[in-house]
Amino acid sequence: MSWPFRIIGFLLWYAKEFLLANISVTADVLRPRRRMKMRPAIVAVPAASQTDSEWTLISSLITLTPGTLTITISREHGILYVHGMFVDSREQLVAEIQEMEDRLLHAMRRVPGDLSRPTERPVVRPPGDGAPRPPSARAGEGA
Amino acid sequence: MEFTDIIEAAGLLCIFLGIATIVISAIGLFKLPDLYLRASAVGTSAGLGVASIVLGALLMDFSGLNLLKAVIAIIAQLLTSAVGSMAIARAGYLNNALPAEITHIDELRLTRRGENRS
Repeated sequence: MSWPFRIIGFLLWYAKEFLLANISVTADVLRPRRRMKMRPAIVAVPAASQTDSEWTLISSLITLTPGTLTITISREHGILYVHGMFVDSREQLVAEIQEMEDRLLHAMRRVPGDLSRPTERPVVRPPGDGAPRPPSARAGEGA
Repeated sequence: MEFTDIIEAAGLLCIFLGIATIVISAIGLFKLPDLYLRASAVGTSAGLGVASIVLGALLMDFSGLNLLKAVIAIIAQLLTSAVGSMAIARAGYLNNALPAEITHIDELRLTRRGENRS
């Protein structure tokens, strides 16, 4: 598909996702507290965005979809920190976000180009913090 | 029934749907346990709620100029609400508003100063 049609296709796909996300969040708010399906999580999602506008757009679009919320990004490590409302596992949220990013980048770039992402989970540590973490306390495996 | 009646009824329906969305997200503000989930719930009213009210008003009073105004209003509303939610969430995290207990994965916590020593 040529470039302008890819943009229209992306907008239609995003509108569909947006409506579905609205419905699922609204339905969950209306459920009685004991039967809520919420399983919130904050997950580090590796991202393929490169330019400023791509980072801005992907994080805004994630936040605009109800139920997912970009808390912060780390351009240095290529990570979006995303808070999700219905997260069964880390991989599920990562797959959702990366699908949206793939579609966005295909629509934005005239030539899709490089869509590779950092595959290893990066060790992000605040500067000047103490000793390295013990491997038993890795991200996402604790309670 | 004439065509304009149908359009007007559709406009009213849109406005009521928008109002319902906003009311439900207000209920969510009370029911949900932490800042980030509440921000997600408010996202539904700031996005779909306001957009469908604007759309309903457009349908009830349609003209070329109003169409332009409505498109600009919806785009500006969506952009600003997204940026605002992100700013609130980031500010909350930096000010130690930790996520509620039911948050089962928190990978951002690893980047906090002092958390790596435990």
